[in-house]
Amino acid sequence: MSRSLAVVPHLVRMYVSTRMEYRGAMLLAWFAQALSYAATYTAIALLLLRFGNLGGWTWSEMALLLSFHLLAYSLGASLSFTQFRDIEEKVRLGTFDAVLIKPVSPWVYLVFSGLNIGYVGHIILAVGLMAWSVTQVGVNWSILSALYFVAGLLSAAMVTAAIMTMIGATALVWVRSKHLFSIFFGFWELARYPLNIFPVPLQILMLTIAPLGFLAFVPVAVTLGKPVPLLGDWAGPASLLAGPLAVLLGALHWRHCIQNYQGAGG
Amino acid sequence: MAIISASSVEKIFRQPKRQAGFGGSIRGLFSRDFTEIRAVDGISFTIQPGEAVGYLGPNGAGKSTMIKMMTGILVPSSGTVQVLGREPHTNRITNAAEIGVVFGQRSQLWWDLPVRDSFDLNRHIYDIPTARFADNLARLTTMLDMASYIDRPVRQLSLGQRMRAEIAMALLHDPKILFLDEPTIGLDVVAKDTVRKFLAEVNRDRGTTIILTTHDLVDIEEICPRLIMVDDGKLLFDGELKHLRQTLGSRRRLKLEFGTDPGPITLKTAELVTDEGAAKHFLLENEQTSILDVLTELGSGHDLTDIKLEEPNIEEVIRTFYQNKPALAGARP
Repeated sequence: MSRSLAVVPHLVRMYVSTRMEYRGAMLLAWFAQALSYAATYTAIALLLLRFGNLGGWTWSEMALLLSFHLLAYSLGASLSFTQFRDIEEKVRLGTFDAVLIKPVSPWVYLVFSGLNIGYVGHIILAVGLMAWSVTQVGVNWSILSALYFVAGLLSAAMVTAAIMTMIGATALVWVRSKHLFSIFFGFWELARYPLNIFPVPLQILMLTIAPLGFLAFVPVAVTLGKPVPLLGDWAGPASLLAGPLAVLLGALHWRHCIQNYQGAGG
Repeated sequence: MAIISASSVEKIFRQPKRQAGFGGSIRGLFSRDFTEIRAVDGISFTIQPGEAVGYLGPNGAGKSTMIKMMTGILVPSSGTVQVLGREPHTNRITNAAEIGVVFGQRSQLWWDLPVRDSFDLNRHIYDIPTARFADNLARLTTMLDMASYIDRPVRQLSLGQRMRAEIAMALLHDPKILFLDEPTIGLDVVAKDTVRKFLAEVNRDRGTTIILTTHDLVDIEEICPRLIMVDDGKLLFDGELKHLRQTLGSRRRLKLEFGTDPGPITLKTAELVTDEGAAKHFLLENEQTSILDVLTELGSGHDLTDIKLEEPNIEEVIRTFYQNKPALAGARP
């Protein structure tokens, strides 16, 4: 494992160098994606400013929720989305074989040889919005609450990376798994709104088998002192445990799929 | 002690049964019928350190599957594979550090970056000491004539240049075994020749064990004294190339030229296969038949002007082998 970790900065350097070959396209992608999210958030802001709140959440609280959602997703997805979305193609073309013949962890190689710096636009927007919203929501910040907020963010990023790993790893056995990303992004869209506005069955789903409730709503609600449906007082510890638990499940699934990798023939 | 051993190795792929047509595709969604494909079927062999072995077979014969099991990519369904005394799939990372693998059709170089960057990344991945890396890089650059393009992005290289770089990259860490999956596919004649000469030299001078799959029989002739032939997942032949012709009994070709067309000729010692009038082509009946036997049977009275005896080339031998394989299955030298 130590050799795998030692290789990480070199893999990242190679990937960044590759992206820099097309730096104009990269800058344009950053700008376009940030603009796209900003437009969506503006629409939500206008609606909230007109109607007052959404499920008891004001615009500034929603801004914190949206920024947390985007930042946690960007941190997790930069480690996982394009890498595991493209794994299906790698399996089909047989190029995944080349990952397995290197004397390093295939997960580390795959993740860091494709570490997506395309999320810079997302991160800049999310940090900007978060910096504004934390001053507006009236939270009495303490060291403990700040630590919880950061740990919840990391846990949420872990949930994202673990789910993406599990979806991508499925392609090692089934060859195709891209359709599962559509399901992920369906729940991911819902996860940017307060969970309490959805019917109970959907709330249960988003706190269990599709645990994207932990991506933003649960940690932000705990921070704001708002009630969390179904979890109640357990919401705080549950949001911190969700990430490591998802990573553990993701690692087991990844290992199982690597052991059962069949290639696509040829 | 063998550097690689395979004992009764099987690899079975389980695939859903496909049904024809659109309706069949829909029915397939609800069907739990599977087809078992036996890609490798009870193969056993051993390879000693320093050997160069050609692994040959038609498409779908199970060549790549066997290479993937030896490199730890796939897990055998039954039987055992040992590489350097270890099971490759349970010791994949340790195994990978001591082998080199080249895929003819799947590049391991970073497409948009200079060749040198990919080499440098491998220095870190394989933890190659700086001095050894510099020595190996200099030697391989000279031997494979890469100096003119080592600092160019891979996307700008010809296929021949890229393949030389792939092979060099697989050798930078001094692997004990080099696996090559169709390394000359798509290369022009000159590039093929360079690659073959280099691989033969690496095997001869550095003692690197080489296992290569190929469709090009010249690769086998020039690099591999030993040949393993497979078909339908089964081992058909394992032995020295020079024994293949006699084992398979491929027939020598005899051409007789006459001053004038002597008309149809029927012989017991040779079978007439092409009749061009004054030139007639025969296949000798067996290894023991000599030209003298044929001439004796032919007798005098023909205006014979020239005789030419040709040994069957390796391609012809193998074509004959596969055409006659039901009768020859299990042949061993």
